[in-house]
Formats: sequence, C-alpha cells, structure tokens
Amino acid sequence: MSTFAALGNGFASALTLTNLMWALLGTTLGTAIGVLPGIGPALTVAVLLPITFNLDPISAFIMFGGIYYGAMYGGSTTSILLNTPGETGAIATAIDGHQMARQGRGAAALTTAALGSFVAGTLATLGLALFAPVLCGVALRFGPAEYFALAALAFCAVTALLGASLARGLFSLFLGLALGLVGIDPLTGSARFSFGITQLLDGIDVVILVIGLFAVGETLYQAWRHGRDELDAVRLSTFTGMNRDEWRRSWRPWLRGTAIGFPLGILPMGGSVIPTFLSYLTEKRLSAHPEEFGHGAIEGVAGPEAANNAAAAGVLVPLLTLGLPSSATAAILLAAFQQYGLQPGPLLFSARPDLVWTLIASLFIGNAMLLVLNLPLAGVWARVMLLPRPLLFGGVLVLASVGAYSLNRSMLDVSLLYAVGAVGLLMRVFEFPLVPAVLGLVLGPLAEQQFRRAVAISEGDLTVFLTRPLSATLLAAAAAVLLGPWLIRLALAHRTRGLRPR
Amino acid sequence: MLALAILLTASLAPAQPLYEQLRIVAPAAPGGGWDQTARVMQQVLQRAGIAATPVVENIAGAAGTIGLARFIGAERGNGDALLVSGLIMLGGIVTHDAPVTLADVVPIARLTGEYEVLTVPTASPFSTLDDLMRAFAERPESISWGGGSAGGSDQILAGLIAAAVGVAPRRVNYIAFSGGGEALSAILGGQVSVGINGLAEFAPQIEAGTVRVLAISSAERLPGLDAPTLREQGVDIEFENWRSVVAPPGISAADRQRLERAIETMVRTSEWRDLLARYRWLDRYLAGDAFAQFAVSEEQRVRDILRALGTGADGAARSATEPYPLFVLAGLAIFGTAALITTLRARRRVQPPAARRAPWRSVALIGVGVASNLVLAEPAGFLLASALLFWFVARAFDERHPLRDAAFAVGISVSAYVLFTYALQLPLPAGVTAGWL
Repeated sequence: MSTFAALGNGFASALTLTNLMWALLGTTLGTAIGVLPGIGPALTVAVLLPITFNLDPISAFIMFGGIYYGAMYGGSTTSILLNTPGETGAIATAIDGHQMARQGRGAAALTTAALGSFVAGTLATLGLALFAPVLCGVALRFGPAEYFALAALAFCAVTALLGASLARGLFSLFLGLALGLVGIDPLTGSARFSFGITQLLDGIDVVILVIGLFAVGETLYQAWRHGRDELDAVRLSTFTGMNRDEWRRSWRPWLRGTAIGFPLGILPMGGSVIPTFLSYLTEKRLSAHPEEFGHGAIEGVAGPEAANNAAAAGVLVPLLTLGLPSSATAAILLAAFQQYGLQPGPLLFSARPDLVWTLIASLFIGNAMLLVLNLPLAGVWARVMLLPRPLLFGGVLVLASVGAYSLNRSMLDVSLLYAVGAVGLLMRVFEFPLVPAVLGLVLGPLAEQQFRRAVAISEGDLTVFLTRPLSATLLAAAAAVLLGPWLIRLALAHRTRGLRPR
Repeated sequence: MLALAILLTASLAPAQPLYEQLRIVAPAAPGGGWDQTARVMQQVLQRAGIAATPVVENIAGAAGTIGLARFIGAERGNGDALLVSGLIMLGGIVTHDAPVTLADVVPIARLTGEYEVLTVPTASPFSTLDDLMRAFAERPESISWGGGSAGGSDQILAGLIAAAVGVAPRRVNYIAFSGGGEALSAILGGQVSVGINGLAEFAPQIEAGTVRVLAISSAERLPGLDAPTLREQGVDIEFENWRSVVAPPGISAADRQRLERAIETMVRTSEWRDLLARYRWLDRYLAGDAFAQFAVSEEQRVRDILRALGTGADGAARSATEPYPLFVLAGLAIFGTAALITTLRARRRVQPPAARRAPWRSVALIGVGVASNLVLAEPAGFLLASALLFWFVARAFDERHPLRDAAFAVGISVSAYVLFTYALQLPLPAGVTAGWL
C-alpha cells in the first residue's frame, strides 16, 4: 500500500464526528494549558491518561495529538501579549512579539504565529508521513560530539541577542551558565553548587528562570518605571490582521523556520530552544533591517513560531519509528501507547498501520482546527492589551506563582521565582539583555555534558570533534556565523584601502 | 465459567473501599518507571474498589531522593500516602550523599522487578558476550557502556560485571545518559560500544531485530526471548531492578496494617497481573519484615559496588575541580566587573523620569504582596495568599479602585484554585480555607 493510500485510509477513519470532537477537545485543552505558565502538555496527558483508559486508542491519541500541537501554539499567545512565555519554545517569540503587541500590532503577531504554526505543522507532518524512517537513520548518526557541535552553533544565537553592550550581554550569558551548574552533575551523579538544599539537586528549572525574568521582572519594572501614573492606553492598530507588507515579510521565515525546526526536532536530543533561537538568528542575519530585531520585527515572530511547531512534529518521528522519547511529552505519549498495549518502535508501522496513519491524519486535522480556532481569536486576544494594568499585572503574578508552585509543589520554587524576578528588575533597570541568561541555562549544561561524553567515549582524544565529519561541519558553521561578519568587514576595509588613490 | 470469574473478582474486592483517598507519590517525572508503577497502582486500586479516589503526585529529581526527602518531611504520620521507591533510589541516596535514606520511611512491600540486558547494534564487532569481555579485559577503557543516570541500576550492573570478570570497577568507562530515549539512540546509532538497560525499554528493539542481545541478567533464559544469560556465559551475576512502595514515618501500627492489606489485595487482582505482563515487569511481591531485611541487604550491596565504581562522595571532589565550572565562574567574575564599570559610567541614564517622585513605592507594594504570599500560602492557604498578592500588585498600579481590585482578587484566586485543584488535579495548599470549596 502506498503512503498516500494509507494516509487516505487514515483520514477516512479520523474524520468521524466523534473523532473530530476529540480533536476539538484536545486542541482547545492544549491551547489553554499552553497559555498557563509551568503547566505543559506532558502533565496534562499524564492527568488524562487514567480517564482515557476506556476510550478507543484512536480517539485518545487524536485528543493527545491535539493537546500536543495546541500547547505549542498556546505558548505563543502569552509570550506575545504579556511577555510571559508559557514554555521554553515560546521564549524567542516573546522578544519581538511583545514589542509588536506594545505597538498595537498584537493581532498581526498572533496571526503570523498562527499561520506560521499551521504552515510548519502541516509541512512537518507531511515530512513525518513521507520520510520518517529515512530521517531516523540520519538522526542516529548524531552522537555526543555532534550534539556538542550543535550546541556550539546554537550559542552563536547569543550574538544576535547581546544588545548594546558586549560586557552586559556576556555577563547575562554567564549568569545563565552559572545557574546551569547548580544541581547533580549527570555524568558522575554528584551534587554541585546545591549548598545542601535537597531541592536544588535537580538544578534550577528553566521555567522558573523564564517566568521570573520575564513575567515577574516585567511587572516589577513596570511598577518601578510607571507606578501609578496614568499611561496612554495602547492603541490597537485599526486593521487587526496582517497587512500586505507583513504577509510579504512572513512567508519566507515560515518556510525557513520549518526547514530548521523539523530536522532539529527529529534529533533525539529534544527541546525547542535550539530550533527557535537558530531560526531567530537566521532571520536576523538574513534580514535587510537587522536593527528592527528586538523592536518588533515580524520575522522574529514568524520564524521561531514555525520552527517551534515543526520541531514538535519532528519529535514524533523518533517516537513512532524507534520508540524513542526525546521530550517529556514524548515520554508520556510513549507511556500512553504502552497503556493500550502498543509499543512504538520499528514494528509499530507494520503492526498497527491503521493507528499510525489515523494519528498522522488527525495531526493534520488538529492543525487545521487550531488555525480555524485561533485566527478569528487573534483580534479578541489582542484586546488583552486594553485591560487595566492593575488587573493585568495582578493576574500575571498570581498565575506565575501558581505555575511555579505546581512545578514541584514547593514554596521554595515560588521564593526562587521572586528572587529571579528581582534580578530581572535590576537587569532591566540597568539595561542588561535577559535572553542570553536563558540560553546559557539551557545550552550550558547540554554543551558541557555532551562534550564530556564525547571525550569519555574517545578516551580523552579531543580531536574527535574535528575528525567526525558531521561534528566538524557544524563547528565550521558555528565559526562562520561568529567570524563571518567580522571577516567580511575586514575584507571590505582591505579592498577600499586598496582602491584608495595614492 | 465467565460468571465464576466475575464472582471471584467481586469477592476479592472489598465491598467498602479501604480508602476514600490514597495518595501515591511518584518521585520522578511522568513517563518513567516509577511514574508508570504509580499510575498502574492507581488504576488497579480504583478498579478493584480498594481506594475510591487514588491520586498520583509527581515530585521529580535526583534519582528520587528529592521526592523521598519531601515525602518524609511533608507526609509524616499520614496513613493514606505511599511513595514509589526502589533500587535506583538506593543508588541515588549513595551517589548524591542524601541526608535521608530508606531507613527513614516505613517499608510496605516490594512490588516488581525488571531484568537488565546488554545490547549492541547489529553492525557491532561484538557478536557474543565473550568477544566483549575479551576486549574489556584487555583494555577496559576502550569499552564505553551506555546506560541511564549515574549511580542507577545500569551503572550498578556494569560495576558488578566488571568485578565478576576481574576488572577494577573504577575502570568501567560508563557513559550516563539522562532518560531512556537518549541512551537508546546512542546505542542504536553505535555511539557507545555496548548498551546496558532495562529489558522493558529494549524489548521492542530486540523483537524488531535492530539490536543484538549479548546477555540478560536473569537466572534462567526467558521464554520467548532469544537471549543467553550472563551466568551461562561465565559471568556469575543475577540482577534485577526492583521497585517497591513505602509509607511515611510516624504512622500508627493500624495504619501500616491497612496499607499492607490494600497492597496485598491489589497484587492479588487479575488486573494487576495483566498490567505487569503488559509492562514486562516481574511479580516480585514481598511484604513486611522480609522486605525490610531485603532492602537493608540491597543497600549494603549498592553502597559497596558504587564505592568500587568511584561515584558519590569522591566524585563530588572531582567535579568541583573540573575545568568547566571554573571557566564559568571566571567568566562571570570578568564580565560582571566589566558590566559594573560600564554601568557605573552610564549611571545617569537609567534614572526614572524626573516627574516620578517615588519610583520604588510601587515596587515596595509588590514586595509586600509577594512576602505575604510566601509567608501565608501554606498556613493560611492559597486562596487568601494569592488574593492578597493580587490586591497588593493592583495597588501598586492603581490609586482609585481598591474595592474593584479586591473583587477581582477574590475572583481570580478562586478560579485559579478551582482550575488547578479540580481540573488539573494539582492540589494547592488549602490552609484555613480547607472545606470552603
């Protein structure tokens, strides 16, 4: 049976009224939990698992698929409107998305996020349907050396986020790296910088850092900067959707974001931080107006949002073809498969093709449903900016506290959240960029672990990063991104000097 | 026949549930072995009518020792709480030098066991355990063993194997991966010489023929699995990763008996047996004092082998002097100084607009709200604490509408409480408001 016939059958069984209801329920639920900070799709699916035990597995997976894609989408809404990323994949979106919302273009940012998510989700799901087995073979060639090289490349994204002062930007980065040191060293199992506090053994949760720096920091900064002053209300742009110029500037980032997100999502390392920030870096480097980035460039929303959703689809490739969970949500989906006596892995496609293709078909349906749900709502959500500030910020802090508490059900996390928030206020007041700190916390431990794993496997031989072709290529790309602009400038200076008449 | 079966299950299930509510703490993130154990228990306890509403709570981190410490601290004396635990937690206690141990909780029962397998990708040069062991004996460091977290069951078995074939366990080049997915991909991709993992995670790969099993840690060959045992290949080891449940310290003898009875009823149901088979877990039910003795002897075994492997306390000394933390701290100091200098130079720029008389007043108001929230959340309950937080934050931005803000404060707190406690099953501290909603 050809892929398309199988997919057709999948659509035939997914497109029943009951299944569409489950898809609708899943996408709505997913969008809602994506909005809540600290509550992710993993936890939601875990909570729903016992309830769905009596459900037909196909219906259950249609709902889970909807939750999964919906959460990826919902995260962008709070990022754009409240500068509060609901999860790590939406951090890059917040940088320019929130600036757009401040300028009254929140609806346009939400629209490009919705359309970008749809385009990326659809293309990536198509990639999942057509090439899943081939892609997995390539992904398995990534070992610790390659992951280290990839992390090194992702670190280059910091160069696009440093802000005005190199020293302050790098301080922010190293602050994140230092926070990343806290907790158990996963290679030896021994505790580092946890100061005898049991809970710090697990390190500092990136969600705490993100909500603390962004949501709490922003609230405190607004209080410090404007306090009780009467401010001019945000004037929403008269046209709520995207104008012609915004369309023109969005479609290429959507496609590039998909091209970056999908392959990186397949890599069993997981995580949406690397794809979204690499997309952000790409867009800034390719843009004719790099100076607009950080001040509301629509490309900075379109690219990362597409990359985020494409990566989410990519994660399903190793899950379905190898039974390999590469994110927390994938791990719980794997558990869900097992609850139904199904084992994702090399045999799933041949043992239960009906289930796999129905799941893939329902991902397409869920994706379309998200677009239908969210496009008309963009204009409505954008009105959040019109809420009176006392209510808006009060609500943000209550939600941030609950979100932090629910991570581990511990008040220590809430205290940590506000400590980070205070640091966030100081960083804003003294104009330190915030995002490098988040990148440092996410990428630092990753780079360190993969570096040490690679060196341990090679028995201490450091050339392993250069003798493995994939790793060498990635490191060369990182070097090009770092040194490229400087070399070009040098070459140009040299040529003009050469041409200067004596 | 069918009627008889139904009658039998019905007679096993107590007419009146033993528990209205029973909380099962899984000291790991959703999806792992402990979480799955907790959720399987939840399912069976509910269906067999042993507990009306069993609830699973996840407290993840540090091989379960964070969950253990919190369980001991928060649940002391509670007769309706259970913690999932096991061999990996013993490893965690030793490697992380945890301040609490399994001696601090009340043992209830060992439940399941899972064998470990040694696997290589089909293209590997090692076709038998013998090949691998020969290369390992010749130059131990050339063999990289890929498995789960440091100090866990996989590394423990690697150490036991080394000791059994006369190689110093310290020379085992063990590569710890976080989570099954990461280890699996490294093994399938041939990034490590050999994989050492739980059977359940690898069974699908074995069935599909994408990996070759060099050995399994069971005493006898398993039916339906083409895998020779370690023992029959001359490595005299039998090993399994067991999982158990424990109760909080300070519970009464009656509470303990009731928990033991609930677990005993649970493991006798046919649903429990079906689910064990589905997850490829072995029935290793062992209750009471026999289990307590078993746990003590296992702890000694784990402690000995981990010491021989060189993890834990002296591992800590090693990683503090690793170059990477020094690099990070040096960078922090250098750029911190540089940023401080540039900031001091540009100080005048960052003053708030002259029109603002008291820029810190609003921040201080929020600070009061936050402080009261932190202090009151647990004793007075989430509802009051977050309503207060909301109100203070609103005051920071607003001079005119104290009553409107108060109304919204109550409304938002109540909705958040209802949403988290009932819809998401994430109970927030109730405090004095317990019973209001």
